[in-house]
Formats: sequence, C-alpha cells, structure tokens
Amino acid sequence: MKKWICLLLVLAMTVFVIAEKITIIANAIKGGKNTQVVEWFERFLPDIAKELGVQVELIQTGIKDEDFKARIVLDIKGGGGADILWIDGFWVPEFVEAGYLRPIDDILESVPCWKYYYDSMKAMGSYKGKTYLVPASTDVRMIYYNKELFKKAGIPVPWQPKNWEDIIKTARIIKEKLPGVIPLQINAGTEMGEATTMQGFFMVLLGAGGNLYDWESGKWIVNSSALKDTLNFYKQIYVDEKLGDAELQVSPGAREKTFELFRQEKIAMYVEGTWMYTSVLNPNNASWGFPDRDVRIGWAAMPGRGKPGDPEFVSISGGTGFAVNPNTKNPKLVAEVLKRILYIEPQLTYFELKPFVSPRSDLADSCWTVNKDKFIAETSRALVKYTTFRPAFPVYPEISFQAQLLTERIVTKQMTVEQALKEFATEVTRIVGKENVIEKP
Amino acid sequence: MVSNLQKRYLMGKKAVVLLLIPALTLIAIFLIFPAIWVLKLGMTNETLTGIKAREPDFVGFQNLARIFSDRFFYNALKISLLFVFGSAVVGQAGLGMSLALITYRKSRRLKTLVQSIVILAWIIPEVVVAYLWIAFLDKDFGTLNVLLSWFGIRKINWFYEHPIFTIIIFNTWRGTAYSMLLFSAALETIPPSYLETADIIGTSPYRKLKDIILPNIKSYIFTDLILITLWTFNVFTPYLLTGGGPSFRTELLPIYIYRNAFKYFKIGYGSAISTVVLMINLLLAIFYITLSRRKKA
Repeated sequence: MKKWICLLLVLAMTVFVIAEKITIIANAIKGGKNTQVVEWFERFLPDIAKELGVQVELIQTGIKDEDFKARIVLDIKGGGGADILWIDGFWVPEFVEAGYLRPIDDILESVPCWKYYYDSMKAMGSYKGKTYLVPASTDVRMIYYNKELFKKAGIPVPWQPKNWEDIIKTARIIKEKLPGVIPLQINAGTEMGEATTMQGFFMVLLGAGGNLYDWESGKWIVNSSALKDTLNFYKQIYVDEKLGDAELQVSPGAREKTFELFRQEKIAMYVEGTWMYTSVLNPNNASWGFPDRDVRIGWAAMPGRGKPGDPEFVSISGGTGFAVNPNTKNPKLVAEVLKRILYIEPQLTYFELKPFVSPRSDLADSCWTVNKDKFIAETSRALVKYTTFRPAFPVYPEISFQAQLLTERIVTKQMTVEQALKEFATEVTRIVGKENVIEKP
Repeated sequence: MVSNLQKRYLMGKKAVVLLLIPALTLIAIFLIFPAIWVLKLGMTNETLTGIKAREPDFVGFQNLARIFSDRFFYNALKISLLFVFGSAVVGQAGLGMSLALITYRKSRRLKTLVQSIVILAWIIPEVVVAYLWIAFLDKDFGTLNVLLSWFGIRKINWFYEHPIFTIIIFNTWRGTAYSMLLFSAALETIPPSYLETADIIGTSPYRKLKDIILPNIKSYIFTDLILITLWTFNVFTPYLLTGGGPSFRTELLPIYIYRNAFKYFKIGYGSAISTVVLMINLLLAIFYITLSRRKKA
C-alpha cells in the first residue's frame, strides 16, 4: 500500500513538473514601473490557467526599455525566452528581420475581435505583409504643466501655446518668477534613449514641418531647415536662455530624475506621452503619483514652430503589443492564451486600470469604460488627428541614436548646430548608404 | 641505474601531462575558444537584431578600419588611459605604497586598523559599493555636498563637473587594498638589519627609501603594476556610477564595448573592439615584463 502511495506521489510530481506552462514577459513590476499591468494580469490569468488546465506565468521586469529589449533579444537568440512578449511596436521590423518573432496571422484568424483593430494599428504590428504583433494600446504626446506653479507665476490657466515663441515666453516668466523651478523639460541626450527621440526631438522637428524620413522618396533626411530650427530651439532652451536643465539630461538615470523633479514641483512644463499621465503621475503610483493629479496637472497640445505652412499642432504615437516567441514549444496553447487576453472583458479592465488610447474600435465605442476617462477622451479627440508614427524600419534605432546625439551635442555645448548636423549627415550616410539619403530645403 | 632514473623521469613527465590536462581543457574551453570566437565575430558585421543577425557577412578588417576612424573609440581610449594612470598607477599603487610605508615598522595595532579599513573597501560587493558612492556624491542628497554646505560651499554636481576625477578617486578607494597588502608583505622581506644599520649611521629617510627599500622590493612593484594595470583597464564598475556619461565622458573601453555590443546590438563591431583591447592589454603586459627583465639583468 505504502509503495503505491509513493509511486502515486512520484507520478503526481512528474506531472506537476512537466505540466505545460505558458510564460508572458512584460516590462512591468508590482509596486513599480507599470504596476497596473501586473495587477491586471493577476486578475484574470488564474482564470485562463484554470480554464485551459495549464500554468500561465507573468515574468515581471521593471527596468529601462533599452535593457528590457536587450534581455528579450538575448533570450530569444539563446533559444529560450517567454512565450508571449509584450514589446514596443517599433521593435517589430528589426526583430522580424532577425527571425525573433513568429508570424501570428494563423492565430489571429481565430481571434474574432481582430477585425475591430484600426488599420494604422495593424500596420504598426506588421512587417512585409505579415502580422507579428497585436497592439495593446497606443498613445499621443503633449505638454503637461503644473497648474499650481503656473498660478504662482501669474500665468493664466488653462494654457495653450500657439507656437514655439509662446512656450519660450511662458518659460521665461517661470524662470523669472519661480527661481529653483526648471521651466521646461524636453528630453535631450542619449541617456534617455528612445524617450529623447520620441518625446523630445520628434515633437520639435514635426512642429517645424520636418521629419527624419522622407516618405515620398523613401530616403533619410540628413539636412533641412527644419532640422536646423529644431536644434536651434534646443539651443535656445538649454544653452542660450537656460530654460531647461542641460546637466540633468545627461546624468545617469535622467528620466527617473525628471519624473522625481516633476513630482516635487520643480519642473513646470514637461513634454511627454499619455503614459506619463496615466502611469507615472497616477495617484496610485507610489513613487511619482500626484494624489490630486486631475486638478493639479494640465495638458496642452504641442504647437508647431509658428511659421506659415507649419503644422498647427503636433503629436507622435507609439504603442506596445503582444508578440509570440518563435521558440515557443506550444503555439496552439499560446494562441488560446492570447485569444483570451484579447477578450473584451479583460481588455476593458485593462483600460480601466491603465487608461490609454485604444487601438480598436469596439473598445473605443464602449463609452462606459474607455472613454469614461476624461483625460483619454479629451486627448484622443484633440490629438489623434494630428498624430503620426515613427519611420520604424530595421535601421531606425541607429538613426534614432544619431538624433539623440544631435540633441546631446547641442545641449552640452560640445558642438555648434552646423558641426552637429555635419556629423549627423556623415554618420547617417554611413549607416544607410549614399543612395538612401536626401537633403531638404 | 641511469635507465632507472630516466624511467622515473619519464613517468614523472607523463604524470605532469596527465595532471595538466584538466586545467588545460578548462582553459581551452573557457578562454582560448571564446577568444578565437571573438576574433571570428570581429570580422563579421553580425548584429543582435535585424537581417544581419541571421545572415552576417564576413567583412574582414573593415571593423578595425572603422574603429580607428570612430571618434568614440579615441574618446574611450583616452579616458581609459587617464583612468589607468590616475587610479591604478598613481592612485592604487601610489597610495598603497604610502600606506604600506607609513605602517611599516609601526605598532601592530595601527597596521591592523589601517589594513582593516582599506580592505573593507575592497571586499564589499560592487553593486553595494556603487550605491554607497552615489549616495555619497549625489548633487542634492549626497553626504559630501551636505558636509560641504555646512562650510558654505556650493553644491557640486560631481558626476557632471568632474566625471573622470570622480571615477578615478572611486577606483583608487576601491582597489588600494591589494597594492597595500602586496607592498606590506614585500617590505617584510627586507632584512631588518639593513634599516637598523642605516638608522645607526643616521641616513635620511629619503636615502633609506631610495637605496634600501625600493631596490629590495622592485620586482614586487612590477608585479603589482602589471596586475593592477590590466585589471583597471578591464574594469566595468564605473558604469554602475555614471553609465558612461555624462555625454560619454566616463566611457571607458569596456563600457564602449558594452554599449556597442549590447545596447546597440552591433555584436560584430563590439567583438572587433574587444580584439583591439586585447592587443592593448598584451602590449602593456609585454612592456612591463621586458622592463622588469631589463632591470634584473
């Protein structure tokens, strides 16, 4: 009898050990970065696990996006990694080229809600005719400002600048009236990585009617008056008038430091994405959240340069989503899990926990949830029509790094605008080849 | 008789070879093979993402050519040389020697006290050390700036205003223990009668140092310099303090390699830089070894 029990126990344990397990990795950690994501998974993953009879585990990481990317790349290259990857949409092309993502068109065939996704969002997740990523959410970019500081400085709120000059004028007032407060945070330098390109550089460049990539000719722009004006804007803010803190941009952990300073009300205006409001400043965020966020923090659309022909307002969007690891041992199970993540109930819960711009029409139409969040409803309405996307080609990260260097060299006074642009042109030409670059007036 | 000796000798040789095999195998697997692999990778344009991750091309010496025209390489080389000279040669060896000399022929208690403090800096784990130093030097909350403000000195952003100086001081603090211990032990090998005789005839401390102490521990100094130079050249810990910044001003060669290989995923290029650094290390080692041999002769 004893023998049998022993045998049974051993058998049970073997089953337990080899029981199938699906893993999901996200750059989120409980109590830290993107804590709502973890809370969200905790709500419904156990149900999925029970229904499918498998273990479903969330691998938490709360690190810099660049480090998260390196981890995923090395995981997959090493033949392992989590089954479902929650990654940034603009990584898709370079990952696909390297063979790091599994096409998921077959999985999506059995996902009924796929037809509700907006085409622009589907495009973000696909590359060369195949789909690799189901968008989870998208965002827009704007200027956040601290209403209390504005009132103290005597600036009327709500505030909406019409051109760059308005921003600079406001910054000057803050500098004069509130010593010790950094008037404007617009990301610069390589330390902040992609956050510099997206939140800072692009928001200025687009406002001058420029871009890094010329969609008509399919070439990378290495020189233009828009690029020059962008750098001059940075120079005016960080060097000439010291309306921003240049040292801060290049110090280690710069991004976290700026969040900290914004929380301490030592930064008045901050150009950032939706994420800043819904996650960083969220009243639930133990590190940087404002308990009275909704009344204390305002937002304004980022204006263009203000010359004739410039865009009135600008925004640029990114987004994250679910991709599937090609090393996965059990694509069928992964498909089942993914399908259930995309069911309407968990999705609605997600947007309730972490309000974001929805990538699909059925969610956006559910006015009782997604649009219940006033901030999301207003920013979507105001900015989605202006927003654009990055030229997410496999080579984009290298060009993006060169753009970060541009801003860094200006704000740290290492180079003049002309020198920095010359260096930029040389490097970009070397990266993509002479035949793929263009100069714009 | 002779054949018997020869036999025993041969047996010994066999045994030696047999005993060496495990060590040599390990070295081959974990040192020689990876080194050759890096050489090979350094001749490709392999990346960790993008098409070149799957189909890297053989590019021969193109990477090397690029390294020697890359301004970041010269920046890293310059910083590494400054760092090695400042923190290893002047800092660790110099301070280590001073501490060893100060405690030489002094009370045992003083020696134990000084050594314990210095060794403490050496044995704390790197990540902990990095946090201690960030807490010490932070612009707004750092202990040092708080102390300075008591004397009315303005807050200094150490990592921004004096980045190289900061990591040099850090690494000196971190690694002095090794040189100090080695020199202390070396000093003990000097026969006491030499210095006692010198004391009796009233030799000046400078002459004692120059004519008795230094000649007697010369070979130890060379050993110490070889080891700490190579170690310092490959040290990565400053990354935990400054991340290579601000604006690449503390980007040592190992950090430069890391940035290219694992931040920008250019694994081929990163390997090529590693090869160059390996060559620099070899040159340094050869330089010291010839120098020490010439002195002996």
